[in-house]
Amino acid sequence: MSASTVSGRARKRSWMDVPLSVVKRQEAGLLGVIIVLGLLVSLANDSFLRKDNLYNVLQTVVVVGVIAVGQTFVLIAKEIDLSVGSVLALSAVTAGSVYGSGADPWVAMAVGVGVGAACGLAVGTVVVIGRVSSFIVTLGMLSIARGLTQLITGGLPQTMPPELSFIGQGRVLGGIPVSVIIFIALVIIGQLLLTRTIFGLRVTAIGDNDAAARTGGIPVARTRILTFVLIGTLAGLAGIIFSTQVGVAEAQAGTGYELDVIAAAVIGGASLSGGRGSIVGAFLGACLLGVLRNAFILLALSPFLQQLSIGLVIVLAALFDQARQGNLRHLSLSSLRRRLLARTRA
Amino acid sequence: MTTSAQVGNAGPAALSVVGLAKSFGAVKALRDVSLAFPAGQVTGLLGENGAGKSTLIRLCSGEMQPDSGRLRLDGEDVGFGSPLEAIAAGVVVVHQEPLLISELTVADNLFLYDLGERPGYAIARRKDNVQRARELLDRLQMTDYLPDPSTPCRELSAAARQMVDIVRALSRRPKVLFLDEPNSSLTHEESERLFAVVKRLRRDGVAVVLVSHRLAEVYSIVDHVIVLRDGTFVAAGPPDEIDEKRAVALMAGDRKRAVVAEVMADRRGTAEQAEVALDLNGLTGEGFTDIDFTVRRGEIVGMAGLVGAGRTEIAEAVIGVRPVARGSISVGGRRVRISGPGRAQKFGIAYVAEERRTEVFHSQSVGYNLTVRILSTLGRLGWVSPRRADAKARELTRRFGVKTASTGALITSLSGGNQQKVLLARALAAKPKVLILDEPTRGVDVGTKAEIYATLRELARTEGLAVWFISSELEEIVELADRVVVIRRGRIALDAPNNAGPQPIVAAAMGSTEG
Repeated sequence: MSASTVSGRARKRSWMDVPLSVVKRQEAGLLGVIIVLGLLVSLANDSFLRKDNLYNVLQTVVVVGVIAVGQTFVLIAKEIDLSVGSVLALSAVTAGSVYGSGADPWVAMAVGVGVGAACGLAVGTVVVIGRVSSFIVTLGMLSIARGLTQLITGGLPQTMPPELSFIGQGRVLGGIPVSVIIFIALVIIGQLLLTRTIFGLRVTAIGDNDAAARTGGIPVARTRILTFVLIGTLAGLAGIIFSTQVGVAEAQAGTGYELDVIAAAVIGGASLSGGRGSIVGAFLGACLLGVLRNAFILLALSPFLQQLSIGLVIVLAALFDQARQGNLRHLSLSSLRRRLLARTRA
Repeated sequence: MTTSAQVGNAGPAALSVVGLAKSFGAVKALRDVSLAFPAGQVTGLLGENGAGKSTLIRLCSGEMQPDSGRLRLDGEDVGFGSPLEAIAAGVVVVHQEPLLISELTVADNLFLYDLGERPGYAIARRKDNVQRARELLDRLQMTDYLPDPSTPCRELSAAARQMVDIVRALSRRPKVLFLDEPNSSLTHEESERLFAVVKRLRRDGVAVVLVSHRLAEVYSIVDHVIVLRDGTFVAAGPPDEIDEKRAVALMAGDRKRAVVAEVMADRRGTAEQAEVALDLNGLTGEGFTDIDFTVRRGEIVGMAGLVGAGRTEIAEAVIGVRPVARGSISVGGRRVRISGPGRAQKFGIAYVAEERRTEVFHSQSVGYNLTVRILSTLGRLGWVSPRRADAKARELTRRFGVKTASTGALITSLSGGNQQKVLLARALAAKPKVLILDEPTRGVDVGTKAEIYATLRELARTEGLAVWFISSELEEIVELADRVVVIRRGRIALDAPNNAGPQPIVAAAMGSTEG
């Protein structure tokens, strides 16, 4: 090994590197897939590219997408949150019942979101202090929050404040849904939070190398708890959006959403082994899921096929990510040829 | 022999410890240790694995708190509740494993402490960090040592990662700098660069403490030597007083000198007439070409060569984890096709790989780690008899001298040397005819090394075990091997009895005989 491997300066960065590094990112690949898919669908059914339909697609992914922003932080911190679907429902019915007891609608909403944050705080505290894996703690919270939701409502839907219905149903600036604007704003804030703030770099650090973070003086416990508070808050907010879309908060709202949320984050490039992930990627991941669902409706294909294809997309996205990381070199043509030769000769 | 905080003529102590003690359960890791690290000098902290070096460093750097005893920094009593407090006071540690965040850039890692010191809502000045990193490297005159600070750490070589950790430590302007095995992943040339930095720190009055198993390198730079054994202070003094030979004797204590001598005396001629246990014929694959050599029963073959010459690749091809393009492998005279380690074990070939970390089942007990490969012989119809498994594990720990509280103890509670013994015992538990070892004593202390050599010698002599070991330590090749095979650029450069000393081995490895 020569000195140049230490200095590593031999390779100068040229203009060629820039487009390549952009193209190689998961986000660019995803965007390409979404565009190609969109064009294909629009060939078969020209209503896909209509403005209303595109807004609709976005609106259907807002709830999953908002939580996926939080899930990406949690995954980067090498944790996971399975409780988001239930926390969403708990926040929504809390807001509904607080409003039903005569409170101001904004107070009701704040309490609802606060309940989500509290769930995250509880999860984070048990994970950090009790050193229980977050998979287990949030599996428990999934059940606890759903149980509380049933207790609060007695199984009956709670009416949401009409004053808040603009969040789920309102449109501004020539038809853009308010919820979509909230979603996009959260994605931008989330991406900046992740890559430009001390908190974001701390999350990356604890997920990438816990020991290095600890000896580097990073408040590991506090950061980990805060990521759970963040996803709890976003789940609460998603609950408000979800319930104001239909005007009522139901006890069964958001059942099974955790899987879509994780799928969106993973399609967007988040790694379950921590350290890596992108908020913009999660946004595009959520969009891809939405476009797929919309395509199946527009093309009048079987909903069973829809479920199957979404499953395929999740696996393909993970494989693509592995290939991008260079973990699939053993499948390259030259390596396969070598093996084949070795087998025939032996 | 000085035992007080004053180091005689060694100059004023930057950091000294008085009566330091630390226990983990029943194990006394450090007992009543008093010593001093003088300012403006390089101190070599020597001792076998388990002698208490790591514990001492952890106590000095705030990673652990002592049970009793005091720390004195620049003559004043100090106590560090955390590594951060120690760093703030000027006591910095460079760990054996560089503690870096792979997903962040070099610059972000250099200023990692910012993440702890600045509030979470603050904006990270990542572009500024790159600029600050350039200035820092400029100030330290180390710009050539590192890639551009905007490079993500995941793209760095092991040596460059180590350098990032060192630069980060230097950026804290340390008064006392602990280097814990800093050069174990560095090549000779990279070590030279590191030592140039160390010399500059010495000029600046920093107390540098160097921990390394590469004694020759340690002795090329130290001004002061401290020896620990079994958690106690043994000796301190200048290197001409405690020279390399004496240091080894002090580290090992009296008990192990006899073993070393016995191993040396046990060297016999090669078993020329014994039958061939393993025969490689024209073996060719990725990274090696036309490998022809044999290992006979009762013979110990040492394979030398530079790192990257293709030695590990050959071994991996033989046990079937790497494809073979051409050539054949015969075991006990029978030509075989080996598709993987499982088949290799059936043919009587055992393999202990280079990386201990990846070979050990970390969250399992010593007993599990010992018996995991032979479980099918410890029961029937897929059921394992826990009684027989435990009896086997006990037998193996006894036979191979594994020092452990019990067979139920976690493997990670063992020292590196003892873990290596467990791996060796595990490989031998399947009663192989051929044992392949890749770097069998890396990071293992002198005493354990001698024990491992003695075990291999005895197995070769009494049971006719054929041993093929790969080593980058010349001393090890010369001391242990009956025959030496040198690999250079994937080809055999030398295959000869081990009776000509180290010169022909070095010459063959470097290619100086053939140009």
